[in-house]
Amino acid sequence: MAQPQVPVTVLTGYLGAGKTTLLNRILSEQHGKKYAVIVNEFGELGVDNDLVVNADEEVFEMNNGCICCTVRGDLIRIIEGLMKRKDKFDGILVETTGLADPGPVAQTFFTDDEVKAKTRLDAIVTVVDAKHFLGQLEQGDEAEEQVAFADVILLNKTDLVSEDELKKVEGKINSINRYAHIFRTQKSQIELSAILDKGAFDLKRILEFEPDFLHHGHDHDHEEEVKSLSLTADRPVDPDRFQKWMGALLQLRGPDIFRSKGILAIDGAPRRYVYQGVHMMMDSDWGTPWKEGEKRFSKLVFIGRNLDGENLQRGFNDCLK
Amino acid sequence: MKLDLSNPAWHQTLPPGRAVAGDAPVAACAFSKDGSIAAFALGDGRVRLLPGDINAGETPAAEPLHGGVVLALVGDPAGDGFVSGGDDGRLLRIATDGTASEIVNQKGKWFEHLAGHRATGAVAASAGKTAFVVKGGEVKEFGPHESTVAGLDFSKDGSRIACAHYGGVTVWSIGQVTLPPRKFVWRGSHVALKWSTDGKFIATGTQENDIHVWRMAQATDMRMQGYPAKVKSLSWTADARFLYTSAQPVFTAWPFSGKGPEGKPPLQFGEEGAGLISVVAAHPAAEFVAGGYDSGELQLGDIKTRRSVVLKMADGSAITGLAWSPDGYKLAVGNEAGTLLVLDLRR
Repeated sequence: MAQPQVPVTVLTGYLGAGKTTLLNRILSEQHGKKYAVIVNEFGELGVDNDLVVNADEEVFEMNNGCICCTVRGDLIRIIEGLMKRKDKFDGILVETTGLADPGPVAQTFFTDDEVKAKTRLDAIVTVVDAKHFLGQLEQGDEAEEQVAFADVILLNKTDLVSEDELKKVEGKINSINRYAHIFRTQKSQIELSAILDKGAFDLKRILEFEPDFLHHGHDHDHEEEVKSLSLTADRPVDPDRFQKWMGALLQLRGPDIFRSKGILAIDGAPRRYVYQGVHMMMDSDWGTPWKEGEKRFSKLVFIGRNLDGENLQRGFNDCLK
Repeated sequence: MKLDLSNPAWHQTLPPGRAVAGDAPVAACAFSKDGSIAAFALGDGRVRLLPGDINAGETPAAEPLHGGVVLALVGDPAGDGFVSGGDDGRLLRIATDGTASEIVNQKGKWFEHLAGHRATGAVAASAGKTAFVVKGGEVKEFGPHESTVAGLDFSKDGSRIACAHYGGVTVWSIGQVTLPPRKFVWRGSHVALKWSTDGKFIATGTQENDIHVWRMAQATDMRMQGYPAKVKSLSWTADARFLYTSAQPVFTAWPFSGKGPEGKPPLQFGEEGAGLISVVAAHPAAEFVAGGYDSGELQLGDIKTRRSVVLKMADGSAITGLAWSPDGYKLAVGNEAGTLLVLDLRR
């Protein structure tokens, strides 16, 4: 009697970017679906709905000595409670505070067995204020990290800036995270299908990320900033060497690596090996088989701070046959 | 006390009992103080009352009392009915006819944990970071704690309550609200709590799949590791000699008599069940223990003979509630699929 896992969408964004407007829209629109919404500020929502739950953003460190292994204790509790309801819902939306780091929310779905059994992390959606984003980058790491974690970005309030300014903001977003889908919006107006049920954390769909984004050549100038990069290889990967290298890399750089994913052509294996991670927490599985005569390749993607592409590619090359 | 573990019929069929479709997941179950009513907290706001006597006529299903899920339920230690907490932020006192009156309303919070103390008639409840103790007409508040209370219990004499939360356990003196609480610190998130029936130990289950136990007298503590899942259910035997824990495929009891469990393995016994024990309930008087599994299996164990019998086969729906009647002859059982059982285990 295994129930299908309920998809969970994490909604982040800096203060005033338009998260509440988006939530109000989702709750009031006639879409025939039922969503539970976990918010941090009760009463801000205009819609009175008994599926709105107030959360306290209780970020707990795991007792394993790793500083980046933090989870949202309140979320574990709330999801367990929601799953006791007779009336099930089509999805759960988790709103984080404007200054929140999306890491602990995402990691909760890698850590807790009950949460993993009953729900699945679907995607991280970040609302960006087109007018104030560049200024917010100067005020701390939050705005940048929220973009770095995102699968989908709503570039909101586009009516308040010129096309030139928009291009500049988009360029900045791309330099931080070039794997997120960006939608330009006004008043958080967006088709729900663009942000819900994306399967961004679904290992089966990791294969869908676009090879066009392949980006060779490395820029050296902004290493202390957050950026995204990919590593590729045509030769098969030695699984033992890869595991050792990746393990050491995450051990050492886990706090700096926000998201990572990859497809590997393991030496001698008939199937693709796929993985994804948030900081040090990883999830992996065998993917679809390589077709007869198909060119086998491997590709890794990292989004993080202080990433040295050349160094990473060298390390990855050492894992190849 | 005679329960019929040797009854061969129980290996094939359920013991005599009543099974009712509750139509919503069960979050908890409890017996009334005199054992005449079994109650089930349901995921649609209803508290379903059934006669403790399995041969009595069935009482009809009532209307929802809570707005959402009934998260917690205990027999009312000061009356004939029950006390329930819900995700609508209400703490209710339920009479034997199923009507309810509100004790506390904390809109926006969830009443998740409840404990009753029979001798003093007090009820402890938690909503968010705050614990409440209800006694007579009086409601006292304790907290806020540093994080949401994830388990609470009374001391043996009912003079104190212990609250589990992130970072450890806080013990409050109920009679002296102004007195600073006593803190028992252990890093990590504590997700269940039971005070030993002799008052000497406080046990918690943690997010990291282990259990932590503090010895009250010396404030020393111990950690038991090696569980494959979180230990959400803890139950002390009536004589406080053993602490039963969930999250194992067989009955698992830590010995607390003599020098305590340090350096000793737990006592493990019984048939290996399907899956892991999700709820465990020690018998209120004798050497028996009931264990419900996440597979739906139900077992009755006997720590003296180290044997167990399967009372109900696995059906894929996790057991989520177990309660013994005060006389120890009946067992109330509820599962995720909403099956409500009252079993009569008298020989």
